[in-house]
Amino acid sequence: MPVVNVSLDRLKKMVPGVKIDRALEMLPFVGLDIEGTDGNIVRVEYNPNRPDFSSDYGIARALSGLLGKKTGAPKFKASGKSGISVRVDKKVKGVRPFVAALVARNGRLDDESIKQIIAMQEDLHNGPGRRRKKASIGIHNLDAIKGPIKYTLVSGGHSFVPLGEKGEMTVKQVLEETQTGREYGHLLGNKYPAIIDGKGTTLSLPPIINGEATKVDAKCRNLFVEVTATDRKAADDVLAVLAMTLADAGFEIRSVSIVDGKKRDTPDMKPVKMSVDAGYVNEILGLELSPAQIVGCLKKCRLDAKAAKDSVTCTIPRYRTDIFSPVDLAEEVAIGYGLYNIEPTFPSSPVAGQRSEMSARFDAARDTMAGLGMIEAFNFSLSSRQVQYELAGRAPEGEILAVDGSKSAEHDILRDALVPSLLQSLARNVHEEYPQRLFEIGKVFRKTDRIEESWHIAAAIAHGEADYTEIKSALQALASAFGMQVTTKASQDQLFIKGRCAAVMKGDRQVGTIGEITPLAIDSFKLRVPVAAFEVDLQALLL
Amino acid sequence: MSSDASALHPIERAILKALSQGEQASIEALAGASGLSADQARRGVEWLKFKGLIAVSESSTFAVSLDAEGRGAAQFGLPERRLVRAVKEGRDTMAKVLASGALKGDEVNAAVAGARRNQWIQFGQGGTISALQAPQSPEELALVRLAKGSADESQLSEQEKAGLALLKKRPGYITSSEQKKTQISITEAGRAILPAIESEKPQERRLSPELITSGKWKNVEFSALDVEAPAPAVYPGRRHPLVDIIEEVKEIFVGLGFSEIDGPMVQSGFWNFDALFTPQDHPAREMQDTFYISGQSQPVPASKDQIAKVSAVHRAGWGGWDTKEAQRIVLRTHTTPVTLQHLAAQKPGSARFFSVGRVFRNEKVSYKHLVEFHQVEGVATTPKASLRDLMGLQKEFYARMGIKKVKFWPTFFPYTEPSLQSMVYNDRLQKWVELFGMGIFRPEVTKPLGIKNPVLAWGGGLERIAMLRFNLDDVRDIYGNRLSWLRSVPRCQS
Repeated sequence: MPVVNVSLDRLKKMVPGVKIDRALEMLPFVGLDIEGTDGNIVRVEYNPNRPDFSSDYGIARALSGLLGKKTGAPKFKASGKSGISVRVDKKVKGVRPFVAALVARNGRLDDESIKQIIAMQEDLHNGPGRRRKKASIGIHNLDAIKGPIKYTLVSGGHSFVPLGEKGEMTVKQVLEETQTGREYGHLLGNKYPAIIDGKGTTLSLPPIINGEATKVDAKCRNLFVEVTATDRKAADDVLAVLAMTLADAGFEIRSVSIVDGKKRDTPDMKPVKMSVDAGYVNEILGLELSPAQIVGCLKKCRLDAKAAKDSVTCTIPRYRTDIFSPVDLAEEVAIGYGLYNIEPTFPSSPVAGQRSEMSARFDAARDTMAGLGMIEAFNFSLSSRQVQYELAGRAPEGEILAVDGSKSAEHDILRDALVPSLLQSLARNVHEEYPQRLFEIGKVFRKTDRIEESWHIAAAIAHGEADYTEIKSALQALASAFGMQVTTKASQDQLFIKGRCAAVMKGDRQVGTIGEITPLAIDSFKLRVPVAAFEVDLQALLL
Repeated sequence: MSSDASALHPIERAILKALSQGEQASIEALAGASGLSADQARRGVEWLKFKGLIAVSESSTFAVSLDAEGRGAAQFGLPERRLVRAVKEGRDTMAKVLASGALKGDEVNAAVAGARRNQWIQFGQGGTISALQAPQSPEELALVRLAKGSADESQLSEQEKAGLALLKKRPGYITSSEQKKTQISITEAGRAILPAIESEKPQERRLSPELITSGKWKNVEFSALDVEAPAPAVYPGRRHPLVDIIEEVKEIFVGLGFSEIDGPMVQSGFWNFDALFTPQDHPAREMQDTFYISGQSQPVPASKDQIAKVSAVHRAGWGGWDTKEAQRIVLRTHTTPVTLQHLAAQKPGSARFFSVGRVFRNEKVSYKHLVEFHQVEGVATTPKASLRDLMGLQKEFYARMGIKKVKFWPTFFPYTEPSLQSMVYNDRLQKWVELFGMGIFRPEVTKPLGIKNPVLAWGGGLERIAMLRFNLDDVRDIYGNRLSWLRSVPRCQS
């Protein structure tokens, strides 16, 4: 989950009259986890459905509400048009078709505010921006820009000074030589969108990098903010969060005209109205709140609301993109009411509970194996070619079921047998006292016309005298514990010594294999004693 | 430690009897006297010493014996003796003595020095030598003694000791070696127990089948065992410790009216994500977090109606939906797809289900992350199920697991609203720990599948509970299968 570094000094200024202890105590009840503290800085984790929490401004906004310091929707005053327009070239249509922008005037950004806004921009890129694929942001020094601005495509040879670089680079060079170019270049094909102003200055090469010419620093009073996106709603959602945050930071927000065939002004800050029945909210929460009480709760969540006879009409600020269904309002009511105020009620059961027949039988199998002196092992379903085949000395029977991009090399295929895992477990215990007797119940996977998974049971015994007879006795005991009879029919298997291996048969059907493990496998796993083992399809055996 | 005569092993009795006269004895002597083998005697001595019935003193002695030069001197006389003998025979100058062969050239100095020290000779004018009285010197005394064999230095007479000290100064005369000696004697406690041993009737060590069937047992007494001595370790077969916790959880669920369900670990993207209203471009669906089976996909295992309605909800809520994503094959990231398919098939009016099963995450394995772990999940549905009920169920569930302090915080899951996370207080760690997540299924989840009533759901990983229970710092230990742990971890732990 993303993390915001909140300075307690700033928080005190942004939430008037708040005591720090109280603020820290209440943060979790807004839905924010305190991950840790570092002197004056609290690291706060937020859920990605709340992009408005990506800066301390948003956190302060919500905290002020729940503490009752400021309630209802936060004030947002659009200060009219900026007079700046962005003309959208048709050529961007198939590439990154949407842009939204705003102008923020007469504000001041100190170093800490700049840090917050940069971190916020990164979080928005990763969250709603889906790692810049869906939406990306450029924040510029307005005073370095001359209108009109256009959003168009440039060639790979187009050159400009990218942010943080000293000299001009071509687009190709940016993609190949800069860090962000290499990281995000794959999002572009061979078409390169760019935002360019009236003087021909390159503001940004979305979604890769901004230009150096319009770089923002602590001296900037006026900002130009653009969001480009593959989805218009995403552009508007992200810009709304930025607009609200910059307004909280003390800027006047002015609109920009986007000329894209027809003209529209952004940011779109139009709130959404939603009505919800008080009865519905109470049913979900298990409370009996009046419409007026519900209004009070919603206001503490920084929403505007009006009570009617049996319902409430809520006005949701545009930046609260997480609220789109009446059930979302019910959750806001719960948060505004305070979860700590809700007394849990235990509903008695309308029905009797029971174990599944299969899991009860599996437990009986466990008891039987334990009664035979065996210890239950737990291995992963995800194993490796090395354990399953190379060390065990066996070839896969069908297609190997591998997973894509496993971060752990020892866990990248689904196992098709349990015994190799048990051999690996024995290998980890060579320094422990013998005899060692292990069993495992687990799923194995194989590909037929589809992916089949079935429950197996396997046992492995390892000691100086371990042999076929002992393991067969154990198998017989397991089968007869369930009133089943199994026979063993001479067979061959790469895992077992020739002549000391059998198919386990239930009637005419093979349900497993049993035998003495080959010295090759024993040696590969660096074991020093004989091992005998069986593996049986547990469902086929028991059911 | 027992000093009851009846608890003594026969070996111990034999040793005590052999020592009853009060003398000191070596192990070998004891073995001879008691009819035991040296090894039995050695073991018995160890046991008795531990019980304080005998005392063992270890002393070391130095045995001295003649070396090559010494043996020559014993045979032919010390150089000074040979000198005085030659003088007495009339060889009155050193040249004559040497010419006679009585001394070798390199012995002259030693012979002269020794003879003068003993005042056996005196030198006259012109180097003539005359012999005086020549009684046996202390060195000769020692020489004679050692010529009979090696001797314990401490047992020599004072004169012999003095002679030996002088001989030791001569190179090649004397060798000495340290010899350790164990002497065993009975203690007061041992002596006190002797009468009891001597008055005992013959005892049997074992109750044999023959004693039972023959009826001889009626006339036999049995030797007492040292019932306080440690016995060798044996290790019972057992279930995996995590299974103990799984069983406990299942019992609690059944007790709360929940029935167990189970389903495949391999799921479609449709049931694992789409039907749970997780947007198709949600980061959790990426390969970095979720395991997809390489190169496999399958037709969405759902009815046309279900697919149509689920995809419609996605288009409305998230602006798009692609069948391809729904067809990908995923190792379930939670057990909820199993629960949901069960609910979609049954559409129960009122029901409580639970499942415990493995789930998968593409993590780098570390002390706190596994690729595969157990998730427990419970769902309850009734026409009037509410958040308060969910909190109540959760609290009761925890109470039955012995967890009393619980609090709830808001959180977010794509498929539940409202969503809560529960924090429980752990006394051992003395802090609040995040445990299960919970919520009410969103209408976007239930409506497309025709589920009418609100569904309360909660769940989370079991390994975290196991770590707290078994006091583990590394989650990998649970799957390490180390016998040192599996053989020692208690079955019941508070």
